[in-house]
Amino acid sequence: MRGTANAAAVAAKNKLSSQFYRKGITIALFSGLMYGFYSAFLTLGMSKGVWGDWYGVNAAGLSAFVVTYLLGALGSAVNDTCSAVWAMGYAGFRGKLGDFFRCLKTTPGHVMILCALIGGPISSTAYVVGLQMAGSIVIPITALCPAIGAILGRLLFKQELNKRMMLGIAICVAASFMIGSTSIGGDAPPGMFLGICIAFIAALGWGFEGCVAGYGTSMIDSEIGITIRQAVSGLSNLIILLPVFGLMAGGLNLSTSLAIQAFTSGPAMFWFAISGLCAFVSYMSWYRGNSMCGAALGMAANGTYSFWGPFCCWIVLGVIFGMDGWSIPPIAWAAAVLMVFGILVIAMNPMDLFKKKEAK
Amino acid sequence: MKPLNYAILKHFTTVKEASADDVIEALKGEYGKFKALNKKDVIAALMTAEANCLLEETRFDLDDAGNLRVYYRANEDGAATINKYIKD
Repeated sequence: MRGTANAAAVAAKNKLSSQFYRKGITIALFSGLMYGFYSAFLTLGMSKGVWGDWYGVNAAGLSAFVVTYLLGALGSAVNDTCSAVWAMGYAGFRGKLGDFFRCLKTTPGHVMILCALIGGPISSTAYVVGLQMAGSIVIPITALCPAIGAILGRLLFKQELNKRMMLGIAICVAASFMIGSTSIGGDAPPGMFLGICIAFIAALGWGFEGCVAGYGTSMIDSEIGITIRQAVSGLSNLIILLPVFGLMAGGLNLSTSLAIQAFTSGPAMFWFAISGLCAFVSYMSWYRGNSMCGAALGMAANGTYSFWGPFCCWIVLGVIFGMDGWSIPPIAWAAAVLMVFGILVIAMNPMDLFKKKEAK
Repeated sequence: MKPLNYAILKHFTTVKEASADDVIEALKGEYGKFKALNKKDVIAALMTAEANCLLEETRFDLDDAGNLRVYYRANEDGAATINKYIKD
């Protein structure tokens, strides 16, 4: 069939295919960058208004448990709720709200809800609990999620995963470890092994989410998929996770009262609105990038958030807002270069670059 | 009424092959008012489905205006997956 197509058609087809592939990688990389900005603005939001007191002077007299766990979950809940509002607004603007409600009742919609629950409250909580139990050593553990996503993509959806791609993923994970290792302190308490295991649940959850939700967006429009994700994540954090932590901390009244104070704190909500927007764009691009170029490449490109996170925090919190302690250690810059090389190895055989030059 | 993306995929379980233009033509009766039923978005949906093995390319050519026209089909596995997840 192809033999009958003329040269112009072949050229146009090749252009379309390479544009699509490049666009997929660009979108996945962009998701990593936006994840960095989302982290930076979320951190900023959680230092303003009423949060400034909670994490600072603590005139409210919150316990260590509340400050560590409940406020963490509350920050996620406020961010994801803001993100869901952005996603709903955008879906409405794009005329997709009707399809959003239609998708909710279908099998791919249910799968998307499952991904949202696993990647949202379950993984986020596992991460925070792991962090508390084992200390900052768990941060690089979660960098395993691109490798997990690629393996799941191979097992569940028969996506391509050859030796070269595995090598590229290993390079990316090693680079993330390098960045994460800078945050490892001498803070490893007893129960560290259990904490690491729990943090591994987070990596597993995010790997599953990226792989399954990425595949899901080959059926569900990515803009609708992300609206489902953020609405479910925001609501489940607010309705399930927060009250559970509230009960553990002494009562439902406490979590409800803190949630009301957080949502009515104007100076903080301004930044939460921006972090929610960045989270919406980041997750939508993550799903879309994964669906366009497969979980292995998509998640590795998204995994550059290991670098973009500290980078954006340095730009926003350190440079623009003059906060101390956000400078980037030199190892992170080296790791960023290594990560780019790793992504290149997953995407293509680097030797092809030389072959093309020779051909010219 | 199914979500637009579902209808696009389902269309391929009923025809031998189709291009983005064919899909738009077939769905414009029911989905004509949907903003996303445009060539750019439909092509993106078809290429994403191809990247995930739901559809496969059959052939391509240039239409009378010189625009590229790519045809896709759902093979047995692709159609089975579509029908498994997207019910009528």
